[in-house]
Order: sequence, then structure tokens, then C-alpha cells
Amino acid sequence: MRITILNGNPRAAEGVFRAYLAQLQRALEARGHAVSVLILREMEITPCVGCFGCWVRTPGECVVPDASTEVCRAVIRSDLTVFASPLVMGYVSAVMKRAMDKLLPLILPYFAVIRHETHHRRRYERYPALGVLLEAGVGGDQVDVQITRRLFERFAINFHASLRFVAQVGDPLEEVVDVVETACRD
Amino acid sequence: MSSKQLAAINGSPRGERGNTPLMLGAFLEGYEEVSGDRPEILHLAHGEPLADPVTAFAGADAVLLGFPLYTDAMPGIVKAFIEALEPRCGEDTNPELLFLVQSGFPEAVHSRAVEAYLARLAWRLGSRYVGTIIKPSGEGTRLRSPERNAQLFARLRELGRVYAGSGALDPKVLGLLASPERFPPWLSPVLRLFFRSKTANFYWDKQLREHGAFERRLARPYVPRA
Repeated sequence: MRITILNGNPRAAEGVFRAYLAQLQRALEARGHAVSVLILREMEITPCVGCFGCWVRTPGECVVPDASTEVCRAVIRSDLTVFASPLVMGYVSAVMKRAMDKLLPLILPYFAVIRHETHHRRRYERYPALGVLLEAGVGGDQVDVQITRRLFERFAINFHASLRFVAQVGDPLEEVVDVVETACRD
Repeated sequence: MSSKQLAAINGSPRGERGNTPLMLGAFLEGYEEVSGDRPEILHLAHGEPLADPVTAFAGADAVLLGFPLYTDAMPGIVKAFIEALEPRCGEDTNPELLFLVQSGFPEAVHSRAVEAYLARLAWRLGSRYVGTIIKPSGEGTRLRSPERNAQLFARLRELGRVYAGSGALDPKVLGLLASPERFPPWLSPVLRLFFRSKTANFYWDKQLREHGAFERRLARPYVPRA
């Protein structure tokens, strides 16, 4: 399976998060998955300015030809996309959120009714399953994890995907590998 | 009358041309009517450094932060601003916090998850959480006629007046602004038909045609053609 991991760690320094992510990547590759990790902080991604050009000027693509096109391509071509980030002030990093804002070209401006709510219509036939990997760190706790989960559940509806797991750095690696594989399979 | 210093921060990535600052402006008009003060609006879209908005936050008794809903949460530039406040966690002089979240969706339910985040943010900063103004169907406010915006702005002015007097957001007006919370399930088939209609899609189709992109509106540039 093709797995895209978006690494939203704002810090380059060695640390628990980086080590855990590297272990996870190795474990998944050892089981035969094609894993691509995008290190968002090293990519030039200009903030979305809300111009809607990706809907009305160059449909499906940001009008700014930055590295977000690479992110969009890696996400939509994957079977599973994992949003991996330390919790910073109770949510994924600004580095991650900036990249998420630029996923807008993957959906349509038009509305549909999903679960009796208004959501954006799909642009693509299939979308990856979604997973989240968080590091609670010093300032984060389980309330933050729950709020972040809720925000990603909402995000997943608009991206025609289901949120399959919210794992945490420090969870036994084998367990995380299992939930990732289950999420890929069905 | 009031000696409380209120700072208003606009988190719209479109800056002063967004819908959010129009709504903040209406709230501040009402606030001025009672307090006599008219805070300037700081625009986060003016970019880094974030020193100005952080300084404004540190020096205020109250901060009103408004933003549009981006992928079901706050825009990236607003998250960056929140991260710049991290050193202020636990300070006992942090301002009380009010938020305004407006979205392009027609129901308020979409903004409830980020509302929970914002309440938690206030707790994290040790700030009093005054509340969050939620406004669905906010996209297009800047394009609507003054008549069509009259009720929205009147309600926001009312919130501003009451806040200046009592330090609270009037729950009744909050409810009116956040209406509808969601549509009744029996309406779904009707909505489904409506969303397929030319009327519903006019806003987007018109812009697509203007840019000569209508034929490509369903383009799928990132998958190999079948």
C-alpha cells in the first residue's frame, strides 16, 4: 500500500518525535508498504490566501506553483495519509495547518449533503484513509488529543475520508503498525 | 466610559479585504457606542513578524480574534499567531478572550469543534473565556448589498454594545447569529436537489466562466488519466 506521512514537526532537532517516526517508517517498509515522508518545514509552502483560484481559475491546482502541489499529489495518490505532528498549543503545528489549508484544490467548491450536513463535493473518485500521529509532549494532554481528534473528524468528512486512527508517539510501535495496516486494507 | 482596553485581531488570510474584518467592524461599532473607544483592527495577513499582534495581545485587557474556518479549523496564519503566544501561557495578566468564527457553510455545526479548541486555548493561556461568535454563510458578506447585510451587522453591533456594558456575549444574539445550527434531516433530499441546481452553483460557475475555466471545473490534475 502507498502511505504518505506528512511530517509537521516544526523543529529539525533530534528528538522523540523524529526517532519514533523513523522507526514507524522502517517498520511499515519492512512489511512491504511504499512510504513517502514529506517534511513540511523544509518545503516552500506559501500560506493559502483564500483566493479560490484553485476552484475558479486553475481548477484542482493552486495558482501559486509552490511545494503544496507535491503535497496534494502525494496525498491523493496514497491509500493512507498520516498527519504527524507534535501538539503545539493544543493542536497540530502551524507548519502542518498551513499545508492542510493548501489541500483545498483536492475538493470541489460545490456543496453536497453528507450525514445531513453541507459539505464540499468530491473532485476525485477515491481519497485516502486518514490517520493522525501526535506527540503530546510537555504541554499537551488527553483533552488536547480529543479536541484534535474532533477537528480531524470534521476535516475528514470534507475530504471524503474516514479518520481511521489517532495514535500517539510512545504507543507501542507494533500496535501502531497494526492500526496503520488495518486502515490501509479496508 | 469603559477603561477596558480591547484589541481586535483579524485572522482572515485575505486581510482587510476579507469578510471577517467587516464583521469585527460591526461588533466594534456597537462596542464604541457604549464604551466610547474604537479599537483599531490588526490584520494577521500583513505577515510576519508577529511582534505587533503579540504586543497588542500582551497590552490588552480583552482580545477579540476573528477568523474564517479553513479546513474545519483556524487558518495556518492564525495557528502561527497562537503559537507565538506560547511564552505567555501561565502569565496572570493575560487578557480575556472573545472569538469570531465565520464560515462558508450554511450551518453553524461546522464551527463547533474549533469553538471547543478556542475555549481550551483560553484556559491554556489563563485567560477568561468570554465566548465565541459563530456565523455560518459568512463567505460572500463582502459582496452582499448593505440591505442584505443589515440584520447581520445589527446583531453584531448589539453584541458589541452588550459586551461593552456587561463584559458578556448575549447568548440570545449568539444563537440568532449561529442559526441554523444544522438542517433537519428531512430537508436533506431537498437540499441535495438544490445543490445540483444552477442557482446554487451560480456563485462558482460565474467565476469559472469569467476565467475561462468552466470546462475544466472538474479537473483531476493529480491522478493519471484512466
